[in-house]
Amino acid sequence: MEEPRIGVYVCWCGTNISKMVDVEAVSQEVSKLPHVVLAKNYKYMCSDPGQELIIKDIKGHHLNRVVVAACSPRIHELTFRKACEKAGINPYLFEMANVREQDSWVHTDRSEATRKAIDLVIAAIRRVEFHEPLEKRSVSVDPATLIIGGGVSGMIAALEIGNAGKKVYLIEKTDRLGGHVAKFDLLFPHLSSSKQMMRPIIQRVENHPNIDVFLNTQITDVSGYIGNFTTTIQVNGNEPAKLTFGNIIAAVGLKPFDPSGITEYGYGKFPDVVTSIEFEEMLSKGKIFTKYGKEPRNVAIIHCVGSRNKNYHEYCSRTCCMVALKYVHQIRAALPSANIFEVYADMRAYGKGHEEFYALTTHKQIIFLMFDQQDGLPRIREADRNDDCNMIIEMDEKLSGLSIEVPVDMVILMVNMEAVDHVKEVVRAIGVSLCGNQFFIEKHPKLDPVATTTGGVYIVGTCQGPKDIPDSVAQAKAAAARILATIATGTCPVEVTTAFVNEKMCCGCQTCISVCPYTAISYNKEKKVSEVNEVLCKGCGTCGGTCPAGAITSKHFTDLQIISEIEGIMSMSYKGF
Amino acid sequence: MSNETTNQKPKLNLAIYWGSACGGCCVSVLDVHEKVLDIVAAADLVFWPIALDIKYKDVEAMPDGHIDLTLFNGAVRNSENEHIAKLLRKKSKILVAYGSCAYMGGIPGLANFTVKEDLLRRVYEESESTLNPEKIRPLTEVKVPEGKLTIPHLYNTVRCLDQVVDVDYYIPGCPPQSERLVEVFSLVVSGKPLPPKGTVVGALEKTNCDECKRTKSENKKIKKFYRPWEIQDDKVTCFLEQGVICMGPATRGGCGVRCVEGNSPCRGCYGPPSTSSDPGAKMISAIGTMIDSNSEEEISKIIEDIVDPAGLFYRFSLPGSILRRKVV
Repeated sequence: MEEPRIGVYVCWCGTNISKMVDVEAVSQEVSKLPHVVLAKNYKYMCSDPGQELIIKDIKGHHLNRVVVAACSPRIHELTFRKACEKAGINPYLFEMANVREQDSWVHTDRSEATRKAIDLVIAAIRRVEFHEPLEKRSVSVDPATLIIGGGVSGMIAALEIGNAGKKVYLIEKTDRLGGHVAKFDLLFPHLSSSKQMMRPIIQRVENHPNIDVFLNTQITDVSGYIGNFTTTIQVNGNEPAKLTFGNIIAAVGLKPFDPSGITEYGYGKFPDVVTSIEFEEMLSKGKIFTKYGKEPRNVAIIHCVGSRNKNYHEYCSRTCCMVALKYVHQIRAALPSANIFEVYADMRAYGKGHEEFYALTTHKQIIFLMFDQQDGLPRIREADRNDDCNMIIEMDEKLSGLSIEVPVDMVILMVNMEAVDHVKEVVRAIGVSLCGNQFFIEKHPKLDPVATTTGGVYIVGTCQGPKDIPDSVAQAKAAAARILATIATGTCPVEVTTAFVNEKMCCGCQTCISVCPYTAISYNKEKKVSEVNEVLCKGCGTCGGTCPAGAITSKHFTDLQIISEIEGIMSMSYKGF
Repeated sequence: MSNETTNQKPKLNLAIYWGSACGGCCVSVLDVHEKVLDIVAAADLVFWPIALDIKYKDVEAMPDGHIDLTLFNGAVRNSENEHIAKLLRKKSKILVAYGSCAYMGGIPGLANFTVKEDLLRRVYEESESTLNPEKIRPLTEVKVPEGKLTIPHLYNTVRCLDQVVDVDYYIPGCPPQSERLVEVFSLVVSGKPLPPKGTVVGALEKTNCDECKRTKSENKKIKKFYRPWEIQDDKVTCFLEQGVICMGPATRGGCGVRCVEGNSPCRGCYGPPSTSSDPGAKMISAIGTMIDSNSEEEISKIIEDIVDPAGLFYRFSLPGSILRRKVV
């Protein structure tokens, strides 16, 4: 290894760091360390002049390692790596010490904070000494895309990609496209027709030259990695077809919650207690009627069925309040003299035009009755012989504080959405993770809501969490844009700081295989060693930590680098035994 | 090794010494059986306290570098161990840390989990077989009519040989396999180029699983840890997969997987491979990933079955590990 020549730069961050840390003392102190050629401090290292300073010194002083003590590497590591690269040294021969978030911002004693800054900078200096240059890697991208799920999200994504001239394989488990939305009658809040919206979309998808639709098909196994996936599908007993594609969109949706388990509502026992899905079908057929074919005179709509309740699902399904209000309009139009009861726990009308829709609905001569989710659900019982209705809802009305009985002939249960039955198989096939509610987990809850931690795999629509049509469409288009961008580039970068197995040291114990969250490690029976697929590897370091023989090294996180860093941080205060 | 080659060369001066040791390493030298005749044909034993009556003053009288090869076994735990280690370093061309104690601190090194005072109190006052109402402790100096008697004083911290003097090579094992000793000795006698200084010799590069004949899979899921006597070993499956902690994956091979061949899990006496600096930490990390539970409560319960984890995972390696000792 060439003799390390390290340049150290301590940032003031205006007064953010310099107020609490004596930046001059830090640069003075660390300038005495071996291999440190120069140590400077500057007002804003991330500014153009700050970066120029580094570039000039690398060239002028033949530096081959750089340490910047500034903010979190999450903010500016890339900035300084690029500066290093610009000056002609490998960007990984750089290390950042966080003396802002982990020091100046969280301390009140200037001398202690300065001492800590020195410790942190020494740690970075000791570590960077052992940094090795790493090369950026990329893989080619197959321009085809696999979309799993032919609902509104899947179809919109397919059209976006297909219209851009790229191949799409759209896989649908059932015998028709459209998902749940195609079965709906009207859509909130504009009471527009679902079928009028969906039919042209379905037709465009079916007739699209770039979209191959596979109905009655399920994906069981996908192999490969970002840019280069393959799967084999079986269509209606025909010959199995092998598909290759570079990206995957999971749009498998959710399914309605089955309310049979909620004894209070007697679903399955009372024929005129129906789910919102069943009521939607009734509306599509054009007639609202009870089991005996009569028009109901009293209709109740119960909200939050299987939602926001620890016994069923804790989450809110986000759409049913508005669907319930939509039913008011449809029932009122069909049955002008019926009594309509909205039996709700909370009214959630947060979306565009939703609050206005709520206000509009209140003018429809209906009665809102509130119940307390925490304090017992309403209970439906059969009406007495003399009653002028089929059933009675007994409930504690929260706003009036009264225990009341509500006469009803029909009850609509606004059922929650939950994971589809085959969610685990999908998850296994495409290598993504599920949260506790069995929704697919996105890469970042705020900043990357359509990607997953598996490269090339995107999640759109309700499988990522309950949402309405516009949100699903937005996600579908976002995922399509992301995929088209990688297709346009032709290649995509893969992780640089991956793990590798030193075959000369691997004893074949196989401890590493099951710990890998990305199934990147496999056992080579002939060589009797484990092997890391560096394209699948995300560099999480789990295997390197677990390898009892020390045969697995995580690049940029070698034992030598980490131990040197620890020794560095301890060097000022720790003098041995 | 053949007599023809050795006869043509001057005999080597060989020394064998024990520091803080049990004597097993010295016995392992005798364990070469009839090969011992080859050794004495090729070398003069100039110092070997267990077998020969040669005094320290005789060694002190030797010119520096007089000894060609010294096999130093045992840890450095008292002033005498340290004095002789330094003396032998001066007098030897090649100093070998022989056996786990000299190499890593070994079993005596477990004393680093306590401090000298606690240790002496236990031994001289509290142990079940001790009767010492006056609480007499050994003194390092005592005056008798004939003059002053001294004995070495015990250190608070046990060290391995290279923490005291410069060491040329390491031969691991508790004790080292005698065959390995013969190989190393033959190499020195042959005059062939020696491996780079600091090399672990008489051992393999890979860890024990590589040679182990038991069936291994990725299925290392442990719901309960067993001590070897608590289960009926099936004699075929990897010990870890049966819930028995085996140090094999973290331990350098070279012993011939003898313990496992004898249906006993590896205890780790050959120490870590060159790629690992701390076999205890490595093994704890590995074991951590094998525990088959995601519930914190259940994991704590499973871990309770590991009796004396520090002593188990660092049985032979504590002084030479990153941990070195309990901080007091």
